[in-house]
Amino acid sequence: MAARVRGLRVPRGLPFVLPYLPFLIAFGIAPTIYALDLAFTNVGGGWVGFHNFVRTYHDYRFVPAFKHILLYTTVWLAALVVLVVGLVLLLHGRVGRTASTFRFLYYIPGALAGAASVLVWLFMLDPVVSPGSFILHHVFGATLFAQAIAPARLPYVFAMIAFWTGAGGWIVVMYGALNTIPPDLEEAARIDGAGPFTIAFRLKLPLIRKWIAYMVILSFATGTQLFVEPQLVNQASLGLVPDTWSPNQLAYQLAFRYADFNAAAAIAADLLLIGLVAAAVIVTWTGLFRTDD
Amino acid sequence: MRHTALGVRLLVLITFAAFFIVPVVWLVLAPTKSDGALVSHSPLSFGSFHQVWLAWKHLDAFSDHIYRRWILNSLFYALTATAITVAVGVPAGYGLALGNFPGRKVILTLTLVAMIMPGAALVLPIFLELDALHLIGSVFSVILPFSFFPFGVYLAYIYYATALPKDLLDASRVDGCSEWQTFQRIALPLAKPVVALVFFFSFVADWNNFFLPLTVLADSKQYPIQVGLSDLLSSTPSFNPAQGGGGQTVNIFRPELALATLLAVVPVAIVFLLSQRSLVRGMLGGAVKQ
Amino acid sequence: MKFNRRWLAFVALVVFATTALATAAAGSARSKAASGSLTVWVDSVRLPAAKLYQKTHPNVHLNIVTFDGDSNGATTLQAKIQLWNRTGHGWPDVIFSEQVNDPVWMAQKPFDYAADLENNVFPTKIVKQIPAPSIAQCTVNGHLVCIQDNLAPEVLYYNKKLMSQFGYQVPTTWQQWAQIGADVAKKHPGYIIGTVGDSYGHWLYLWADQCPLSTLKGPNTVLINAADSHCTRMANLLDPLLADKSVSDVTVFSPDFAKQYGGDADKVLMMPGPAWYALAVFRDTLKLPAGEWTTSTPLRWGTEPVVTGQVGGGPWIISKHTKNMAAAVDFVQWNVAAAKLNTKVANYSAIAPGLPSYGPAAKAWLAWLGKDPFFAAPPGAAIGKASNQIWKGWGLVTYPDQPVWSNSVVTQLVAGKSLSSLLPALGQGLSQAAQAAGYKVVSH
Repeated sequence: MAARVRGLRVPRGLPFVLPYLPFLIAFGIAPTIYALDLAFTNVGGGWVGFHNFVRTYHDYRFVPAFKHILLYTTVWLAALVVLVVGLVLLLHGRVGRTASTFRFLYYIPGALAGAASVLVWLFMLDPVVSPGSFILHHVFGATLFAQAIAPARLPYVFAMIAFWTGAGGWIVVMYGALNTIPPDLEEAARIDGAGPFTIAFRLKLPLIRKWIAYMVILSFATGTQLFVEPQLVNQASLGLVPDTWSPNQLAYQLAFRYADFNAAAAIAADLLLIGLVAAAVIVTWTGLFRTDD
Repeated sequence: MRHTALGVRLLVLITFAAFFIVPVVWLVLAPTKSDGALVSHSPLSFGSFHQVWLAWKHLDAFSDHIYRRWILNSLFYALTATAITVAVGVPAGYGLALGNFPGRKVILTLTLVAMIMPGAALVLPIFLELDALHLIGSVFSVILPFSFFPFGVYLAYIYYATALPKDLLDASRVDGCSEWQTFQRIALPLAKPVVALVFFFSFVADWNNFFLPLTVLADSKQYPIQVGLSDLLSSTPSFNPAQGGGGQTVNIFRPELALATLLAVVPVAIVFLLSQRSLVRGMLGGAVKQ
Repeated sequence: MKFNRRWLAFVALVVFATTALATAAAGSARSKAASGSLTVWVDSVRLPAAKLYQKTHPNVHLNIVTFDGDSNGATTLQAKIQLWNRTGHGWPDVIFSEQVNDPVWMAQKPFDYAADLENNVFPTKIVKQIPAPSIAQCTVNGHLVCIQDNLAPEVLYYNKKLMSQFGYQVPTTWQQWAQIGADVAKKHPGYIIGTVGDSYGHWLYLWADQCPLSTLKGPNTVLINAADSHCTRMANLLDPLLADKSVSDVTVFSPDFAKQYGGDADKVLMMPGPAWYALAVFRDTLKLPAGEWTTSTPLRWGTEPVVTGQVGGGPWIISKHTKNMAAAVDFVQWNVAAAKLNTKVANYSAIAPGLPSYGPAAKAWLAWLGKDPFFAAPPGAAIGKASNQIWKGWGLVTYPDQPVWSNSVVTQLVAGKSLSSLLPALGQGLSQAAQAAGYKVVSH
């Protein structure tokens, strides 16, 4: 049913959406198409099929970069799901100021993101200045900064930094979600003899499942695109951590050190594909797309 | 039994609280100490306010007061882009939620997909696109991409889809109001919570964005603070000793870096803390109604 | 004509006037050359010199930008130059780089940034007074594309007080040096004779021993052979020293090193290092006590001739897009020559942190260094000779080798592996970097 304005049929709602469309096209759709075009062509613009994908795959830094990011994303998502949900369940049920105090404390690091959080952690990981030097020495056996950022440790180090920054926000959100549970429900369960564990896992957990899914979706997207953390640690460690540790860093190097934008686009396309597949899987699984429920 | 369970619970919560907070406390205390004191004194000790003043003097003197420039740039980019995001995104969300036109579902899908896609993977293509439009080097190379914020559109969409009953709109139309008048009289007054939400998310995302400005800005005077911090880090001898030694006259050591980091988060921390409540309420507005 | 006083006075006047005019013309030509505006990119170390130029040349509107110096294998300058090339503007007139090999790619496509300085574009009289190895390093495809600000040949630094206290002779060969290390580990544990943990450790120990890891065989062909006897013998020499901790695996710039060996601990016995270590590292970074340090000739292998390595030698590069070539050249030549000649200026050690490339300035610097009360004995002789002893077999290429050393060797040394076991990984890493940069890699 279209509104009639002076005899002209204007589809309802379209004018409000129109100003947004140029942005969607210019920075959403067009770059994707441009990236794909670059990925399948060479410097002169000629079509080369999958050649760029094959040769970037054979680049000696490609597989290690993707291995790193796979491990990093897995560790980070696992930490988010287990620790965020665990902390929220522990927090909830404590009425009064203590719960909100804890929530607030967990939330503060979220204000430091990107470069700021990395700089803080460069200090935290240096046993010479860190307040956690005791832990570094005795739990991780690291007496030097170079040992704290040893190659095998990096995915966990970056996951820890990402968790430190991101967990607080999600804890706040999930806590709010738990607050929507009617208190009578909890009361009834307690009367039935359910202990705190049962209430937490049988009653509360299923009710925040949707939010856990949201968290995984959004975190997966940012996880695979890791750039600033390894880039800054590379700078601060004078090259101990390579500048091609993550796929995005490799794409950046290909573009700017070797001026090879086709190869860089191939890697961008790889990351897009991963993002799309994950999005499709999770969207269909959670019914995120359904707008009329 | 109950008491040990409570005790364990508290212990876990306190341990994590320490993990989250101690680095922040360190950051706040670090500029109060001199570089030597940072290494030799206890990490969480307080130095002096005079030291903070010295650290600021050194930081400000770096490269001709470029630090102030960086903060102002960040404010400019984030506020301008967020203004565009809100002005464009909130009506778009309204139109998508309550409109009825061909392609509505397509645009919605594309928005959702764009939201989920790894944005950094698009930075290089966006760079080449901006280059083709001869925008590289201008502030628009940063502001325009920042203004595209599909998550903001999605938030507005969810909000209007759940908070605005269709009957209210129909009634307004029956009264003879045009679409624009309907939007003005009904949707706009209700927009405050969602505008606050979109503002928060967009501002924080713009403030923290690193990869895009790094790629498209050639002149370090145009950098936002995030990229500026990485520039500061690598231009200072204490973290990047030069071959040729020296550099002591630049005076950027760890306290100055800590102060730079601390000041860089103040604006977004303010926005962050002010929005804590509306964040929870707003994000769940839809869910609660359901 | 009577030769009278009036005639003499007239001739004197003419001579005087001509001289005055000539001087004025030369003077105004000089000030005409150095005018207009200039944008220079310098690292934090070159900043004092740039600021001094600004003060002493008010005719030039100098815009100084400090950046990270593109050191340790960074991509800073590649990224920037690509961005400027794409926007068609923004190139600085002069860049100082800490990566001695940067001019190699700057002079070639697609970057195409460096201006050609031969044919007196940059004064030949200065070029003639710069040692040949330095000029060779700045010559790419037959063109002179940079001027090195300082030379950084490696010498042996030693603590004279501690050496005589412990009763050691100053070593002249690597073998003698290693012998002292073994002895130190037993009798004076905690003291060190060197470190391999810097990002340029391979330049100090492998370049100095003629290990072929970057030998140019053609413009696009590089010889990399980490299994060569020169490499393995040095690794075998260093391994026991690393194991018994008389050679450290921590970089001299880290707070860990300073805490353990510097300051009051004063645990550095000897250290092979480049010319600029003299004050910048021992006095300013490690804050070691004065009156203990001096230099000796670079170590040689047995009775082989003396060759040594190099750490730095940062080049000045002038942009081919500059609109003010005269001022750009003036800025660079002032930094290379005039600034470093004036040893009387208050912050001379900041203006000239390393051995100047310009011969007369090098002489002045060495004499000045010799007078500094920090040293136990004048360190200049060994350093001066060493600039001509740099092994020419290590060529400059477009890709950085420091990150390969840091990433494949130093990280593993810190984890306890031996250097010998890491040579293959080093060779492989360098080969991969070379191939990625478009070089053909050969092994002999």
